[in-house]
Amino acid sequence: MEIELDTRGGPSSGPYFEDAEGFNMPEPPGNGSRRIPLGDFPTGPEVGSRLPDIVATDQAGRLVDVHADRAGQPAVVVFYRSAVW
Amino acid sequence: MDAYRAAGVRLYALSYDEPDALADYAEAHDTTFTLLSDPDSEVITSFGILNTLIPPDDHPWYGLPFPGSYVIDADGTIVAKFFEHNFAIRSGPEQLLAAALGQEFEVPAPGGSEPADRVSVDVRIDGDRLPMGVTRQIVATFRVPEGQHLYSEPVPDGLVAAAIELDDNDGILSYEPVMPPTSPLTLSGSGDTLAVYEGDVVLRLPVAQNARNMQKDDDGRFVTISGQLRWQACDDVECFLPESIPFSFRVEAGFPVLGDMGPGVGRVPAMNGAQHFQRLIDRRAGTEPRDEDQ
Repeated sequence: MEIELDTRGGPSSGPYFEDAEGFNMPEPPGNGSRRIPLGDFPTGPEVGSRLPDIVATDQAGRLVDVHADRAGQPAVVVFYRSAVW
Repeated sequence: MDAYRAAGVRLYALSYDEPDALADYAEAHDTTFTLLSDPDSEVITSFGILNTLIPPDDHPWYGLPFPGSYVIDADGTIVAKFFEHNFAIRSGPEQLLAAALGQEFEVPAPGGSEPADRVSVDVRIDGDRLPMGVTRQIVATFRVPEGQHLYSEPVPDGLVAAAIELDDNDGILSYEPVMPPTSPLTLSGSGDTLAVYEGDVVLRLPVAQNARNMQKDDDGRFVTISGQLRWQACDDVECFLPESIPFSFRVEAGFPVLGDMGPGVGRVPAMNGAQHFQRLIDRRAGTEPRDEDQ
């Protein structure tokens, strides 16, 4: 899949830049953290398929296998940018 | 989180942060759901959602996913997913929980003045606040009398599909609507087959705001979201006239809670954000101090 970079937007007030949806940040659209796709982009496994295995360390340092840990309950799995910034 | 616990739905949030950054975040924010650490973006890559627009030497941004959420049922099957192209947008907790519960929504009792042979409608916002960039859904419920149906897009000229339409609200963004399954209906005259809704129909329209048009009064910051519901009911013999009702919501608005990265320390819970950010850069750029240097 060819992914196009969204570089729309431009300077707003002061040191800020506004993207095409009006979100304002110190970095210009298309730079660093603001490299977002313009059109189609991959969104991973499709609806109807099984969620692939996820094994990762949690905030308590415990190794978590999501499918085992949820113990038969439905779940929401969020992929987000960072807890730090 | 109480709503998730009561509903028996687990919540996991994965990022490319180190476990100790997650520990500091969880302590600062009293997080009770599971934060997962994927510092080498292995899980992100295995899902095929690594943001490949970011060059591998662009620290600390390389390793980020195209952000989004998956909703899975008890068997582990994905029943819904929400990805928006702008990472400034994320799906609100109400929206994700509704998807996990199969979009169930308590259907309000029909209005007292509405005859039982007419469609009755209700519209509300699922959630009480609209922080910048976090979606909430406008939820429209249509109670369709037995023997009648509403149409889903696309419809031929002359018919009106059931829809939530927003006015041109400055600063308000809307996304892909969540619609219930339809059943096919073949028109006896033309032989055309249309997609119709019957019974209790719930349409959901995710909306967000970009903080460019928040207003403020004595009760605090807010945004206004206005629009209308449109629909046209038909039975097997005839169609009624198209109908619409306007809505306008005043919704409490604000900025999302961020880490304690920059100026304004004290306004947000402290979690050593600047130190973790520096470590994120150092580790990825390979400039991490060696043990003997410390």
